[in-house]
Amino acid sequence: MLREKRGDVRILSGGQTLLPSMGMRVSEPASLIALSGIKELSLLRQAGKSIEVGAMVRQAVLEDALKARVVRHPVLEAILPWVAHRPIRQRGTVCGSIAHADPSAELPLALLALQGSVTAASAGGSREIAARDLFTGPVQTSLRDDEIIVTARFPLLAPTDRIGFAEFGYRHGDFAVVSVLVIARETSTIFAFGGIDDTPVRIEIPTALADCDLQTQLTTLAARQTVRTDPTASADFRRHLMTRLGRRACLQALGPAQIHHDARQ
Amino acid sequence: MTMRTISHQNPETLRLIINRRPIEAACSPRTSLLDFLRQEAQLTGTHAGCEHGVCGACTVQVDGVAIRSCLTLAHDVQGATITTVEGLSASGALTDLQQAFSRHHALQCGFCTPGFLMVAEDLLRTTPQPSEEEIRIAVSANLCRCTGYVGIVQAIAEVAQQRAENPTGQETQHA
Repeated sequence: MLREKRGDVRILSGGQTLLPSMGMRVSEPASLIALSGIKELSLLRQAGKSIEVGAMVRQAVLEDALKARVVRHPVLEAILPWVAHRPIRQRGTVCGSIAHADPSAELPLALLALQGSVTAASAGGSREIAARDLFTGPVQTSLRDDEIIVTARFPLLAPTDRIGFAEFGYRHGDFAVVSVLVIARETSTIFAFGGIDDTPVRIEIPTALADCDLQTQLTTLAARQTVRTDPTASADFRRHLMTRLGRRACLQALGPAQIHHDARQ
Repeated sequence: MTMRTISHQNPETLRLIINRRPIEAACSPRTSLLDFLRQEAQLTGTHAGCEHGVCGACTVQVDGVAIRSCLTLAHDVQGATITTVEGLSASGALTDLQQAFSRHHALQCGFCTPGFLMVAEDLLRTTPQPSEEEIRIAVSANLCRCTGYVGIVQAIAEVAQQRAENPTGQETQHA
């Protein structure tokens, strides 16, 4: 059906973005295909070194599974409370948010930062798409018209990895103006920024976070990036947020001892 | 797996249990759960505010879980059990939460109140003993444009404490 109707049909999972955009006539599909009846798409499990999330797993289901330690992932646990509000997370799906590919959304940011992937399926078969190849522009992905995301794969962290996350929006649950996710590895540091450009941005530097001069590092990162200006914030303000939120996320990742040390400086 | 097709020409019957009563009605595929509740089921306690998910006035429970009825197609919850503000109490008497809203002046015009009651019940279901911060985060899902949030937060905190002390007292009679 996706192949026959090309573009005139949309996939409905949670509908928390699609229904408002249809209400505002931004999206006017002739047909919807609802996935809610397909039980196979509600799979949520740890498989090998990843958390696998099926297309109909609602964001709150993942949030509760993390809280109950059914699956463990510090990055997902940190970001999910920032995804909209609980009643919306109880309907919205993880894969739906990834397929929508909003540059300020937290789930695409996490998928990219972790170098995760999705399985895209069509009537002709399925293929794996790495997060870096999936997000091609603002609400644009490399999915073909006849493909849907059936599974998202979030790689687990190493036991020694430490993370931090900080976000600024005008109201909790609104779109992030800027969000920053930091993953501190033993010999490298990953900075991922949401809300600054057409897609989330992932930068890995070959230095352990503890050895970074935070101020210089963050100021340099912010200055080098392409950063957008839109009615919600200027590029300058976004760069300011990148350094301030980045610092907050770094301090979370470094832990309490370093925060104390940093505060004395 | 069978695929069902619902169209304007073929408006499949929608079957729901709303506030403990089964209801069946033909329903076009484009109808939101909100419109179905207000127009077909004649339950106008669920309010249409922004109709794009920002204000939370339309919040109802689907299978015990609070969701935005304006962002949900009626046919996408086929067979579900729905609770609206009219169904919070089986007897018709105000619940402990509704009485607490009244005591704490947690409403003024009342337009947002059904949504806040639904969000509050959802919080108390998942987090029976919430901190003030947890209450504030939960109610941040909804907008109140006249009273403000202090009374709402106080009412929810009081009910959380009452229910911890007296777990059967949810549906209390008028004092």
